[in-house]
Amino acid sequence: MTAWIVRRLAASIAIVLAVVTLTFFLIHLAGGSPCGQSDAQSVAPEVCARLRAQFGLDRPLWEQYGKYLWAVLHGELGQSFWQRRPVIAALQDALPNTLLLAGTALVIDFTLGLALGVYQAARARRFGDIALGNAALFVNSMPTFWLGLVLLLVFAQWLHLVPVGGTHDPVLCSRLDSLQCVADRLWHLALPATTLGVVGAAATARFQRNAMLEVLAQDFVRTARAKGLRERRVLLVHALRNALLPSITLFGLAFPFLLTGAVLVEWVFAWPGMGWLSVMAIGQRDYPVVTATALVASAMVTLGNLLADALYVAADPRIRVRGA
Amino acid sequence: MTVGTWLALAGALVLALVVGAEARRAAGPVGRRFFRHPTAAPGLVVLAFFVTLALAAPVIAPYPWYLQLDPVHLANQPPSWRFPLGTDPLSRDVWSRLVFGARFSLGIGSLAMLVAVSVGAAVGAVAGYFRRWPDAVLMRLVDVGLAIPRIFVLLVIVALWDRVSLPVLVLLIGLTGWFGTSRLVRAEVLSLREREFVAAARALGARPGRVIFRHVLPNTTAPIIVSAALGIGSVMLLEAGLSYLGIGVPSPKPSWGNMIAEGQDRLASAPWTSLFPGLAISLVVMALNAVGDALRDALDPHKEVA
Repeated sequence: MTAWIVRRLAASIAIVLAVVTLTFFLIHLAGGSPCGQSDAQSVAPEVCARLRAQFGLDRPLWEQYGKYLWAVLHGELGQSFWQRRPVIAALQDALPNTLLLAGTALVIDFTLGLALGVYQAARARRFGDIALGNAALFVNSMPTFWLGLVLLLVFAQWLHLVPVGGTHDPVLCSRLDSLQCVADRLWHLALPATTLGVVGAAATARFQRNAMLEVLAQDFVRTARAKGLRERRVLLVHALRNALLPSITLFGLAFPFLLTGAVLVEWVFAWPGMGWLSVMAIGQRDYPVVTATALVASAMVTLGNLLADALYVAADPRIRVRGA
Repeated sequence: MTVGTWLALAGALVLALVVGAEARRAAGPVGRRFFRHPTAAPGLVVLAFFVTLALAAPVIAPYPWYLQLDPVHLANQPPSWRFPLGTDPLSRDVWSRLVFGARFSLGIGSLAMLVAVSVGAAVGAVAGYFRRWPDAVLMRLVDVGLAIPRIFVLLVIVALWDRVSLPVLVLLIGLTGWFGTSRLVRAEVLSLREREFVAAARALGARPGRVIFRHVLPNTTAPIIVSAALGIGSVMLLEAGLSYLGIGVPSPKPSWGNMIAEGQDRLASAPWTSLFPGLAISLVVMALNAVGDALRDALDPHKEVA
């Protein structure tokens, strides 16, 4: 078991290193410059050269790469050209927002998805199952950002139930210092998290329904029914516990989905998370920020996969890993 | 809209229905399994309709996609007989742009998928057939590719150029989307390469390239077709997302993604500009998923799920 963990951990680290290398060289092919966009010719050449030297852009590529790698290992991700502050500071502002959004969406995704999946399996091939199945298929086919816009239109513009964007009220609640302001944050979170969560739940429900049906066909379920247990107990205790196992795989798959969806949903709702930061930074050709967000996103996905694998092994005693 | 364009639209609808019915009538044993799926036929009709729109766009669209009719008096008009889906903030006819947008959205989706599937099949076949170090190297590459969320890769790469031309965009989306297919093909090839007909081909002196492309890959077409059909939908969603962020199809050209972005600022007062393109994407992607599911059941009966 320990050997397996060490091997998986090493593989994960290797993947993240490869990602750092890839993004670094990709971005450097761009030749973005601290002097701004190409049309900004107003910056004097000597100022430009000084800025380039200040950011180390006049050094050979391999030296920049080595320096970058060394710095990344120490948690230094460079300076943002656009925000004129360390990239890590910009990320520290953005990452909690993304984690809050994606985390809430994950909770919605799995609670709603599991509940719907169990309900559909219980009423398999009847009206409720088919209607929900088709609805899930439709939601799953929508562009996430478009669903966000539709919800925005209905709940913010027409019904005025929730704010149209941002993470908090900038006037009343710039700091999180009262219960009212906590409520304000949750209020702003409601729509983006629902958008992201519902789209995920559509996929989770479909998966969970099939997992439940597979388990419900097994002998021990018939035994449980034959013992005279109530259907509710058979479903929720006997079947669901076994049907939850495959969902752990889904948990690992949810990470890339949530991060990708978060990029677009953050843009719709002006939610200053990593996706929003990345898109803004691209407009400014601020490549240290773009590299860093791609790197952090990849690290999160790799970590998520590792976590899902470990959970799966821990949860299912039938799985024996080689070298355990 | 004139009588001619209404007739053309009706013609497209009829043609889509005829294609659906005709396909069903001519179906062989595999086709019958395909049409046993309740959503297969409607999905096929929806796809046929949108493909017709894309191909016959100049006939069906009442106005050119770039035409600003009257920015002062005809901007943000609600749907009417003259403008069935309303007009956008620049007074362009949304229906015309939607029809021409089908060309961009469907074209980019299918071409990018073609790139992805070709690369994925080639890489998967090489890795699975040769095993040892090519397999190890290629599959580690795939691991890395799957670890980076695709949209971040594309954001990084798109940032390299100020403006990405359409062929490059198609290539980029394709080249970041082959990882899953390559794993699938590799798994198939790993088992196929042990079969007698491959040994026979080798014994006759066929070189690896010939064995792979003439004997092994043709036997993996079923999973490749299924993964392509299911993949086009996600590629279209990705293209829509990129165009929405302003880094996909450049703005005056209509893609369903950037049409949504153009209506965003007027969402409260003129929601039709953003709503209809999104509806079109959802319909097409849903149809693609339905057809893909049915194809999977028809081509890989042993993988059928409840």
